[in-house]
Amino acid sequence: MGLVERKATHRRYAQAIPGAFAITKRGTAPCRATCPAHVSVQGFIALTNDGRYREALELFKQDHPFPGVCGRVCTHPCESACTRNAVDSPLGIMYLHRFLADTDRASGNPYVPVKKPRREEKIAIVGAGPAGLTCAYFLAIEGYQVTVFEKLPVLGGMLTVGIPSYRLPRDVTEAEIQVIKDLGVEFKTGVEIGKDFTVGQLREQGYKAFFIGIGAQECKRLGIEGEDYKGVYPGVEFLREINLGNRVHLGDRVAVVGGGNVAMDCVRSALRTGSKKPFIIYRRAVEQMPANAEEIEECREEGIELMTLTNPTRVIAENGVVKAIECIKMELGPPDKSGRQRPVPIKGSEFQIEVDAIIPAIGQETDWACLTDECACTLNDWGTMRVDKVTLQTSDPDIFAGGDAVTGPATVVEAIGAGKEAAVSIDRFIRGEDLFAGRRTDWTPVQDVPLDGLPHVARNPMSLLAPEVRKTNFNEVQRGYDENTARAEAHRCLECGVCCECYQCVAACKAGAVTLETHGQKPETITLETGAVILAPGFEPFDPSRFDSYAYAKLPNVITSMEMERLLSASGPTGGHLVRLGDHKEPKKIAWFQCVGSRDLNRCDNSFCSSVCCMYAVKEAVIAKEHAGDDLDCAIFFMDMRTHGKDFERFYNKAKDQGVRFIRSRVHTIDKVGDTGDLAVRYVTESGELKTETFDMIVLSVGLQTAAETVELAKRLDIELTPGHFAQSAPFAPMATSRPGIFVCGAFQGPRDIPQSVVDASAAAAAAGEILAAARDTLTVVPEKVPEVNVFNERPRIGVFVCNCGINISGTVNVPSVRDYAATLPYVEYATDNLYTCSQDTQDRMAEVIKEKQLNRVVVAACTPKTHEALFQETLMAAGLNKYLFEMCNIRNQDSWVHKHNPDLATQKAKDLVRMAVAKVGLMQPLKEAQLDVNQAALVIGGGIAGMAAARALGAQGYTTHLVEREALLGGQARHLFQTPDGAPVAARLDQLVADVSGDPNIQTHLNSEISAVEGFVGNFKTTVKNGAQEQVIEHGVAIIATGAVPLVPTEYSYGQDSRIVTSLELDAKLKADDPAIEELGAAVFIQCVGSREPERPYCSRVCCTHSIDSALAIKARNPEANVYILYRDIRTYGEREYLYKEAREKGVIFIRYSLEAKPKVSIENGRLTVRLTDPILGRPVEIDTDLISLATAILAPDNNALAQFFKLPLNDDGFFVEKHAKLGPCDFATDGVFLCGMAHYPKPIDEAVSQGKAAASRAVTLLARQHISTIGQVAEVNPALCSMCGVCVSICPYSAPSFRAATERFWPGRAEINPVLCKGCGLCVASCRSGAIRLKGFDTDQIFAQLFALNEAS
Amino acid sequence: MSQWEPKIVAFLCNWCSYGAADLAGVSRMEYPPNIRVIRIPCTGRMSPKFVLGALREGADGVWVSG
Amino acid sequence: MSKDVIGSVLVVGGGIAGMQSALDLANSGYYVYLLDKSSSIGGVMAQLDKTFPTNDCAM
Repeated sequence: MGLVERKATHRRYAQAIPGAFAITKRGTAPCRATCPAHVSVQGFIALTNDGRYREALELFKQDHPFPGVCGRVCTHPCESACTRNAVDSPLGIMYLHRFLADTDRASGNPYVPVKKPRREEKIAIVGAGPAGLTCAYFLAIEGYQVTVFEKLPVLGGMLTVGIPSYRLPRDVTEAEIQVIKDLGVEFKTGVEIGKDFTVGQLREQGYKAFFIGIGAQECKRLGIEGEDYKGVYPGVEFLREINLGNRVHLGDRVAVVGGGNVAMDCVRSALRTGSKKPFIIYRRAVEQMPANAEEIEECREEGIELMTLTNPTRVIAENGVVKAIECIKMELGPPDKSGRQRPVPIKGSEFQIEVDAIIPAIGQETDWACLTDECACTLNDWGTMRVDKVTLQTSDPDIFAGGDAVTGPATVVEAIGAGKEAAVSIDRFIRGEDLFAGRRTDWTPVQDVPLDGLPHVARNPMSLLAPEVRKTNFNEVQRGYDENTARAEAHRCLECGVCCECYQCVAACKAGAVTLETHGQKPETITLETGAVILAPGFEPFDPSRFDSYAYAKLPNVITSMEMERLLSASGPTGGHLVRLGDHKEPKKIAWFQCVGSRDLNRCDNSFCSSVCCMYAVKEAVIAKEHAGDDLDCAIFFMDMRTHGKDFERFYNKAKDQGVRFIRSRVHTIDKVGDTGDLAVRYVTESGELKTETFDMIVLSVGLQTAAETVELAKRLDIELTPGHFAQSAPFAPMATSRPGIFVCGAFQGPRDIPQSVVDASAAAAAAGEILAAARDTLTVVPEKVPEVNVFNERPRIGVFVCNCGINISGTVNVPSVRDYAATLPYVEYATDNLYTCSQDTQDRMAEVIKEKQLNRVVVAACTPKTHEALFQETLMAAGLNKYLFEMCNIRNQDSWVHKHNPDLATQKAKDLVRMAVAKVGLMQPLKEAQLDVNQAALVIGGGIAGMAAARALGAQGYTTHLVEREALLGGQARHLFQTPDGAPVAARLDQLVADVSGDPNIQTHLNSEISAVEGFVGNFKTTVKNGAQEQVIEHGVAIIATGAVPLVPTEYSYGQDSRIVTSLELDAKLKADDPAIEELGAAVFIQCVGSREPERPYCSRVCCTHSIDSALAIKARNPEANVYILYRDIRTYGEREYLYKEAREKGVIFIRYSLEAKPKVSIENGRLTVRLTDPILGRPVEIDTDLISLATAILAPDNNALAQFFKLPLNDDGFFVEKHAKLGPCDFATDGVFLCGMAHYPKPIDEAVSQGKAAASRAVTLLARQHISTIGQVAEVNPALCSMCGVCVSICPYSAPSFRAATERFWPGRAEINPVLCKGCGLCVASCRSGAIRLKGFDTDQIFAQLFALNEAS
Repeated sequence: MSQWEPKIVAFLCNWCSYGAADLAGVSRMEYPPNIRVIRIPCTGRMSPKFVLGALREGADGVWVSG
Repeated sequence: MSKDVIGSVLVVGGGIAGMQSALDLANSGYYVYLLDKSSSIGGVMAQLDKTFPTNDCAM
């Protein structure tokens, strides 16, 4: 189901990068591929559908000069090939171009193609039939001097003398020939080549090339006795006589022999010339007749008998005049070479029919009298001309041939196709070019046109003259489509090729970016030599349309979560207005179904958990309520709610508070509620109650899966995949595939959310960087800097760009009025508004405008400078302006979004803000930025898995790395872990990692050490590391925080009162030590969420579900008889960890859910260890006697306060560090030069810790590799003349930027000065300077006052 | 005569309160449109002169946040 | 390390992961070829409305 129609020429969305448009081509539509003239059928139909008939006709005439003729007599192979045949019936393609031709003819101003510049070469065309005329038409357009020689007194060949005018009126043919005359083609009629002139004579007259298109005008003989009696008229001759205006009357009973269109023409012409009973004799059945079906049908309508399976054997005459015809009955035998069943005579079935005349119409052949001795052409065994199949060149190089003369009797459109190809050849021949090069010979039509769910639309019938009106005259039978019918018929086109090849874009593109050549672009193979490959092919959303149970394909109000995202998006099809797709009704009740295409082997093959669906469903529910109002009822049907990410649990809790309903149930049926579009949902509650509830809309939370083409890619690259078709990797090297040098990141590594993908992406970059370090900076180029324009002392010329931000701003603020208002402000030279000011094309335009209007100050009124200032500043630099000559004005986040119910006042506020920004920017001056060296050493704090992974990545890339660990040993919490989920012991791999770190000459390990002080800033940190009493100062450019986490010491479940009650890590120790007690266990109970997801600790510790299940399986492996229970709230085995959960259930581990309100109770009575809880499914209390209780304890942040203070880093309520951006900056801090990884960020398993360690290193390397960084320009500056040397600034600055000039300085000794490198531009010194000697560039006092003054101005 | 509405000038620190005001927008919170924000690099930049200036220019209230 | 290491990387896929890899590598001094089957980069994330848990705009 598509939400919105996308044209073939498109850009994916307004902010797309690159911003250029692309044209989607699926391939050549079958109509075009099949048409011998390869008319751009889909193109002219699309233009017709659009009402652009003239353009449609012009497009047709690019390939074919006879839309009117072929619109009447074509055998329309295009319609036989039409994809619509598979749906209902083909398009009336020929009726459509007939409509175009008739419209053009009726316009009084018929289209004549534009000729190219005149060429002097003369070309002779022999035969004025469709082939010759077409060849003449195209050569005339090329500019040649073309003469057509025709034996008959009339032009058109078979079009004129072969086809009766009730089918093809003369004026239609004449009008289309007139266009050829208008192109300057000369016609000589009544001239017989070979008799009146020879080819040799014409060569002497200067003709450079010849096209022979003399057709096949001689009737084939029946080859039976009596054929030469009077009363036997060859069909073609009969038609010719009638068409030349000679009245022929054959008598009442006329037998026409043959089943082709010529036979039909003869029999219907006989009827029209007064014969009472003309009829057809044909040796095969009706189904095998080569004539058009319409022709046969019209014959029948006119009362003409078709005597099929009948073959003439003898003509019987009386006095030399035909009296009767003897025929024999036939039957159909085995198929012949043509695939048709061969007719076989039935012995003894001869019979006679009395007739007045007989017309044989069984085919024609060519009279080759034109080929005189000087022609070197040769004929083949069938008496047709021998030519090259592609070029149509004969054995004589300057002679080309086509049409019936080459093919034997064939169709008009084949002749036209031949004339067109011959014209190309002749043009190349004359220019001396290769006749073959680059000619398209492969016209394989597109195959994979989606047809599912297409409604049947009947073909629009052709209106016909009534049989009784038409059969006595030669008036045209088919009356043609009227405009409405043509439009309706054109609308049926399925647009098989996507791009219709109407080439209107070629004409429209002023930049010349789209040409016929670009339309002809073919896939290209490029070979790249690279040092590494990173695979990030992503996922595809699961497609539920194949599964009846979800009724997705049938019910329009069942949509996927991806569609829901678009419906909620301001740039989506409804502009963010939440409505049902089916009837545009605003929904009141929406249900989400979780695990569609995930955790499900029955209905799909994806047994893994897609990891992200729970969170996005909760998010969509919350946003939907935000869009539609609080009374929108949102219900999420789920199995386990998996909100295991950082701050996810809080989000889930908040959603519950906001009234989102969470129903733990898998829905089994969706039913339509009458015609209301509403959907009734039947489900079973946890307590076994069957419920029915009606919703307006259902959102299927579709899972993530690897696309089939990605699986193919993996095969080609020889990469091993997991059972779920994700890239196989190991926990200690999660970004490495099975093939060295190829790395993986993102959802192909396993279903995952955005932050994890971003982490993995940086980790993969680090992994690639590790093997390529030797070649760093060898292939990169430094971007050219645009020289800065000097605007000093110029009067301000301000440009104001007001953003609509789709509807984000314009939905509330009246953007045009803000724009117009801005234009009235002082010094504003230019004001405009943009749909998306941040889009690449707007940026390009902005740079152009700056140059064109010589703007020297720019104001962008849009979103927030915190996200977009840098982008716009780059545009200023691209236009040669200093980037500080810029001001942003926040009319989205701080205006339209927060005042949506107050559009007038919001607009007023926007105007005020623009006025203030204009006032400020006028006073802006160009600012310089200072360069700063980046110390090339790194400091990693924390020697656990993440810290070691980070150190290894840095060391391998050649950077000196200090690894500081508080303990005496490296390894962190991983030293307590037993095994990874793949069953491999942690210890061995941990030891290997420690050995790698210790063996790396670039890594200096500081054990038993802590940080005691940090000075400096990005690029130049000085950190004091304390080892006992010993202190060492380390200089480093970057720091990585990898301080890890600690396990909770539980206070519940009687922990500490019995040695059989242990924590997960204590159980790991037992498993590691092969504790024999494990094998003796009668029962073991795991209690999940011990300390996690509690009101005082509202987060999920992420690893415990997998850990407990893994341990449970380890117990089961050693002691299969043990009864193992896992008491849980939600099982959160995300991604392919789900397999472990499945395995555990299969192996008999018993899972019992409990709720926060009814936690399990542990009791120790007389040495008996018992756990009691209520089974929610049975609704009954359960009592488990056990020998072991393992508590899945929460993971806690250690006391990070000191470190947070040292580096000025934020901590969240749970004590974990707060990264720069939850999605896009998971390893960065707002503080430059400091990075984050491992459990210091959030609880995580080994693979994710390794990944984030490497990712943090990658982020750090991006800084180290630059070697220099630029500081900001908005720094404080002292005017020494005013400085009173009081020293307040020196003492107050948190960054130690101000200092006193030395007493020995020649100028201003002892006065204050500010180091611009150290200055952060906070302005503290400025405000505290009692002499007013310090100013802050970019936030100068006069600028702030200008804003204040502007505030007061009446607008 | 319409109801009197105060005019408030807010000096917001770029790093915290200004970002918070952005977040209020992202979260689609609503508040009265009486506030005009002046972004300053840090409340350290704040000078009493600005408060006085704002009041002199017609502000009924000045809000400094950082 | 051998001298004939090539200082460029091919990144297959221009979604959020591919873009982040490409940016990191380019900023670390490696030439990057970023490949995508579609006409613009951004992948699935560009189709999303908001992102959890902060409800930031996905664009």
